[in-house]
Amino acid sequence: MEEIIPSLKGMLKDATNIKSDATRFEITITVLTKIKGNVADPDEILVMLKMFGGLKEDVPMEININNDTQIIELKFQTEEDFKKIQKIMETIWDDAVDMLEQASQGDFSRIKNIPKIDD
Amino acid sequence: MTDPNALENNPFKELGEIPENKYDNGYTLNSTYITVRDGVKIAATICLPKGLSPNDKIPTLLTQTRYWRAMELRIPFRWLFDSMITNAPNPEIVTSRGYSLIYTDVRGTGASSGTRIIPFSEEEVKDGSDIVDWIITQPWSDGNVVSKGISYTGTTAELFSGNNHQAIKAVMPGHGFWDPYTDVAFPGGCYDHAFMQMWSFLGKNLDLNSPKVFSQIMPEVWLFVKGVKAVSSDMDLKLLQDAITQHKSNLYVYEHTVKRDFRDDKLPDGTIFDDLSIFARKEKIESSKVPILAWCSWYDSGYGDAIINRFMNLSNPTIAILGDWTHGAGLPANQFYPDRTIVTPKPRDRINAWLNFFDKCVYGDGIQGKIIYYYTLAEEKWKKSRVWPPKGHSYQKWYFSENYSLTREEPATDVGADNYKINFRTTTGRNNRWWALLGLPITYYNRNKIDEKLLCYTSQPFGADTEITGQIILCLYLASTHEDGAIFAYFEDVDEKGNVTYVTDGEFRLIHRKVLSTEPPYKILIPYHSYNKEDAAPLVPGEITEVKFGLHATSVLIKKGHRIKIAIAGADKDTFIRYPKEGRPTITISRNKEFPSYIKLPIITKE
Repeated sequence: MEEIIPSLKGMLKDATNIKSDATRFEITITVLTKIKGNVADPDEILVMLKMFGGLKEDVPMEININNDTQIIELKFQTEEDFKKIQKIMETIWDDAVDMLEQASQGDFSRIKNIPKIDD
Repeated sequence: MTDPNALENNPFKELGEIPENKYDNGYTLNSTYITVRDGVKIAATICLPKGLSPNDKIPTLLTQTRYWRAMELRIPFRWLFDSMITNAPNPEIVTSRGYSLIYTDVRGTGASSGTRIIPFSEEEVKDGSDIVDWIITQPWSDGNVVSKGISYTGTTAELFSGNNHQAIKAVMPGHGFWDPYTDVAFPGGCYDHAFMQMWSFLGKNLDLNSPKVFSQIMPEVWLFVKGVKAVSSDMDLKLLQDAITQHKSNLYVYEHTVKRDFRDDKLPDGTIFDDLSIFARKEKIESSKVPILAWCSWYDSGYGDAIINRFMNLSNPTIAILGDWTHGAGLPANQFYPDRTIVTPKPRDRINAWLNFFDKCVYGDGIQGKIIYYYTLAEEKWKKSRVWPPKGHSYQKWYFSENYSLTREEPATDVGADNYKINFRTTTGRNNRWWALLGLPITYYNRNKIDEKLLCYTSQPFGADTEITGQIILCLYLASTHEDGAIFAYFEDVDEKGNVTYVTDGEFRLIHRKVLSTEPPYKILIPYHSYNKEDAAPLVPGEITEVKFGLHATSVLIKKGHRIKIAIAGADKDTFIRYPKEGRPTITISRNKEFPSYIKLPIITKE
């Protein structure tokens, strides 16, 4: 794993396309790599936002996942919630890889800040 | 890390040059269930070289694990990799060298069905044979199977050979035990509480497909692993769920060993520790005549001793290797060179060397006889020998003497003893040879400070370079204020500046002190203690008794001008159970004419 960590940020950016629609409070993640099976489950999206995005609380959102098109839609009720997640999504891949890199070097400080996750 | 410039006798070089790849297009990854004789479904992940033509027939490298053969990744990492193989060897290297690679979850674990009462059960071993039957009927199989692994998978590889299946051509146990009682669970009769508890905790969570366990013991893994990888045909995950339900009936070694003491204590299925061992299956393994490459490190738990015991006791053609890295060779561990950060050889070079060994056994004449390669610490050189102990071996006694010294002269006076009140806060921490089994680094640093709490005896500077290779024997004439207790003895090198470097250690629970003159279950070079209930006896408070035991094997050069030191403790609180459970004994170590406590060093004299 250590060998590939440095290239993960670029790989994740190449493998996904994130778009935001501020008028409709929507964020779409398109997964560009061909996935066997489900692209994601709604619970996994929430875990990802908490684990790598630092989301502390439950944010109401509608999650639609199309496994054929590999498009994940996140719809929010308020602008505040939309902006909160939009900000997280701007750096989430970098944050995830940084966290992984730190942890693989024995630095678990960021992991300790992860809120309770239902695994 | 071995010195990268130590080329002479280097086993990784002697296994030959790396040949050109047979396949260069990556590999395919599939999974399936293999149903064994009693209906248990063994989950298997199969890696084949891409570009394999229907006419190509290739050998198989099999690894049977209890730690998930493959992992389902969390998003977003799952969007990059379909799954991740849990264990080495690296499928890209293995398949490019022209082997198919199969990982299985042993019964009762991962995505396999069944339950497990004990590890390495007879049923688990027999599964290996059924898996081989399946492999050799596959269209890509050439009918040859080899097996390798590290730690648990190393042991499954070694036991696999005992199936006596004609398709099995070679096995490679890395960092595995020979005698699970002394090598891992009860070294010297002292219960390795830390490892046994953590290992069982890890196993239980893995078997229930709970990744939460990683957040506590391997947080970096928790970040990207969601669970065990289901078999690809199990689209609705029903078979995986059924398997996990069956795993709920599993039993774990901690639960049924923590309140035990003796080698002959029964496990839940009526077996004893010895039944899980390699030595109890010696006859089967030998009759297979399968070549074995066994490798480990001097610093890894009691598994360095396991290499030597295996080398001395198994008649199979054998290459044995003892280096200076951590469990599984993930990190360097040479205590003389704490600043080294990269392990040598690099994993890729090591795997290629292993494949050269398999090539010899599958395509060539195999290997002849037995040879052991061992790395001498501080000298930083590889040595090799066809016999153990190596030629030039003799013992040299060093006596405990006044002013906490070690001398070559036997005590001449009738009096002489030192008292030591056991300090139960003494610890080697969590980066010692026992915690290393969980993949942690090995760092016995700052021994000077730790030794201040211990009873230490130090020699004068050595007049010449002296190689010590083998198991040091410690003989103490001691009395205690209590009926139970343990000795933890550290053998150390002291340089001209007074810096103390850990070399090896040994631990021993005093109730097991009876040295038997009967034949041990396998050949050993240290005093034979049965660790059986009938041979155990409490100490008689105040009465001097002989306590003689072996330290873990090592090979080290004590350089001219350096001194040797033996540091004695009565506890290692973060690893072993406390003996006795209550009270704080004072021990008295005699060092006089009648009771001359000493250490016996296995010296190698160059011819």
